[in-house]
Amino acid sequence: MVWLRSSTAGGVSAEYQRIVRRRILILSALPVVLFVSTLIATFIGTTGPIGPGVKTATGEVQRISFGDAIDAIFHGHGDWPFDYHAIFWTQRIPRVLLAVLVGAGLACAGTAMQAVFRNPMADPFIVGVSSGASLGAVAATLSGLAAFAVVGTILTPLLAFCTALLTVFAVYYLGTVKGRVYVDTLLLSGVAMAAFLGAIVSFLIYFARQEFHRVIFWLLGSLSMQSWTADAIVGLTVGVGVLVIFLYSRDLNALLLGEETAHNLGADPEALKTLMLIVAAVMTSAAVAFTGVIGFIGLIIPHMMRIVVGADHRVLVPSATLAGAVFLVWADAIARTVIAPNTLPVGVVTAICGGPFFLYLLRRSRVEGDKG
Amino acid sequence: MKFEVRNLSYSFGEKKVLKNITFEAADGEFLGLMGPNGSGKTTLLRCMTNYLQTPEERILIDGRPLQSMTPGELARTFAVVPQSSSTDFVFSAYDIVMMGRIPHMVSRIAGHRKSDVEIVRSAMEKTDTLKFASRPFFALSGGERQRVIIARAIAQQPQGLLLDEPTVYLDISGQLEVMDLIKKLNREEGISVVAVLHDVNLAARYCDRIALLSQGHLEAIGQPKEVLTPEIIQSVYGVDVVVRKDPFTDAVYVMPHSTAPVLHKHGTHVHLLCGGGTGGPVMKALLDQGFAVTAGVINVLDSDFENANDLHIATVAEVPFAPISESAHGENLRLIGESSAVVVTPFPVGPGNIRNLDAAMLAVRSGKTVFVMEHDPRVDIDFVGGKADASIKELINSGAVLVRDLKELLSRLSKGGSG
Repeated sequence: MVWLRSSTAGGVSAEYQRIVRRRILILSALPVVLFVSTLIATFIGTTGPIGPGVKTATGEVQRISFGDAIDAIFHGHGDWPFDYHAIFWTQRIPRVLLAVLVGAGLACAGTAMQAVFRNPMADPFIVGVSSGASLGAVAATLSGLAAFAVVGTILTPLLAFCTALLTVFAVYYLGTVKGRVYVDTLLLSGVAMAAFLGAIVSFLIYFARQEFHRVIFWLLGSLSMQSWTADAIVGLTVGVGVLVIFLYSRDLNALLLGEETAHNLGADPEALKTLMLIVAAVMTSAAVAFTGVIGFIGLIIPHMMRIVVGADHRVLVPSATLAGAVFLVWADAIARTVIAPNTLPVGVVTAICGGPFFLYLLRRSRVEGDKG
Repeated sequence: MKFEVRNLSYSFGEKKVLKNITFEAADGEFLGLMGPNGSGKTTLLRCMTNYLQTPEERILIDGRPLQSMTPGELARTFAVVPQSSSTDFVFSAYDIVMMGRIPHMVSRIAGHRKSDVEIVRSAMEKTDTLKFASRPFFALSGGERQRVIIARAIAQQPQGLLLDEPTVYLDISGQLEVMDLIKKLNREEGISVVAVLHDVNLAARYCDRIALLSQGHLEAIGQPKEVLTPEIIQSVYGVDVVVRKDPFTDAVYVMPHSTAPVLHKHGTHVHLLCGGGTGGPVMKALLDQGFAVTAGVINVLDSDFENANDLHIATVAEVPFAPISESAHGENLRLIGESSAVVVTPFPVGPGNIRNLDAAMLAVRSGKTVFVMEHDPRVDIDFVGGKADASIKELINSGAVLVRDLKELLSRLSKGGSG
């Protein structure tokens, strides 16, 4: 954490040092919290060791013990009515990992979008990613192609990814005049495009009938399409995306003071906006392609972390990325267990937890702002 | 740092905002860019910062075309201070100043170096902003914010400073505070300054030279006293002004007259007996009401003499510090004779000008309407051992009308004029 060490050397004032120390503390604690969270979350599930357990034919609730679970994970045997080894390696681990990656990606992309739009209410879906992806996914599902085993698992994400990116480029094109990106036009184009594509999706859903449940599940966002392939693809895009956004964090700081100020500080605002839009769109599209539209993370995590660590992107980008991962890991753990043996779409959990928490933070910061 | 602008034109779509502008800002100079709203001064500044891109080699910095420099190079060469800065995001004042180090960052991964921290610290010391380094930027007052932005500009270690109306949202103390700071940087550190300024007098006081824009072209450029003349200001701003010298700073200062046109120029002739600056407001008010005004007898160098000159009022003048001569007195009486009313302002009366009161007495005796304006009892205007006070009393006893103030004078005059 080279970039942090140097910022403590300021010695500007005792109060400033206190703020910097708090930022460092939070930023160092987050990886630990994430590690512990993933560890615990991999043990949470219907089959245990933490969770509601499985009802056997006799009505008895069975739950694997920690010892047996660890044994099953590493040795792959045990006299259980289910193959815990396989559940763990093909479902639980890739799913928790996907939660980490998608949560991180959405939160990081949200941070970048809020900076580009200079609006704390922006989120990664603002330029039409979610509506574009939804159209692709719904089309794939309804065309019946998704039912084919091999084609289906790849086709839905692929089509969702492509339509998401296409939508972003259309919105970007609409918001750009003579090589200059006008963020307000971009914002309105995004809103209009989302409404338009949303209407088409609704139209398709109306005719979906038996596919209705699957489509809705996708639209609400779910991590149930987990696979190691998904982890690898999302991991690569999110990894590169987070790195790029982090490297431009000082430029993003300057952008928050306005495009002209950014220009005058040597951060080329046009290039920066385009780069951030592309990176955030690719990251978000990749995540959404495999999980559907998981709302609120990209909006509230950056916002929340900004209240906690401040607006400086050199701290905010890594903090929000880690916090987004932690948040989605726990949201998915709840989604998997709360109505067991069924699972809830994780987007429902993020919205239910996120909405009120967001309102609370907003209210609190407003009240404190008035006091100060 | 030397700025050269060569035959620069710029348009927004069809609208030509800048037309063939050519000028130079020399190294170490403090140049003011002025002009009415919409004259193109902010556009010119934005061209100079390369925020608005200009074609070909129209703008050169130390002989290098602006376009050949990278954004980072530009930001290391000059810093820009906007009209005002705000953000919805919570940055401390220190964070804002540290942004001035962005153009100097060596790598994207490494943080600020020790030297960056030192530079930011010294910039904040120079602008006296260190005391609120940890406070959120948005919670600062307008003047404090602008000082923080100037600290950021200093942290950029520029050779030049471009400012866009840096004091427009500040109160008078904030304006002087910010302008003094900029002047200090200009004088002590040799930083060249190009500033768009709105306030004519602020510009006259601080600038070495002023470039005056009008409807997109350069109307005049030169020292404040060369550019800020009543003729040029009338042609550019369409306002009548008086230009004087600030007695303390020796800078020129500009006073606007009312731009409201005279409703009805009836030309009823009023003659003023005044002096010591007491006549100025009366002259202006009477002219605005459509009266024809003359004044007398005033010594050259008396402030009422300058007032009358600025208002193009015919006066009977006497050489400086000399008593009223026979010929001036005669001329004064002639003007009184031509007028329909005479006004005696509460001017300080000394041995030199007491003949003005004699003239008033003659006017009353000849049946003229004479108004005597009451003087503030706390201010002694009699410097002739009670003779003046006695004369004024006698004037009133003989039929001159005592009026409390300018307002009463105007209402009585307009009644007399119509009747």
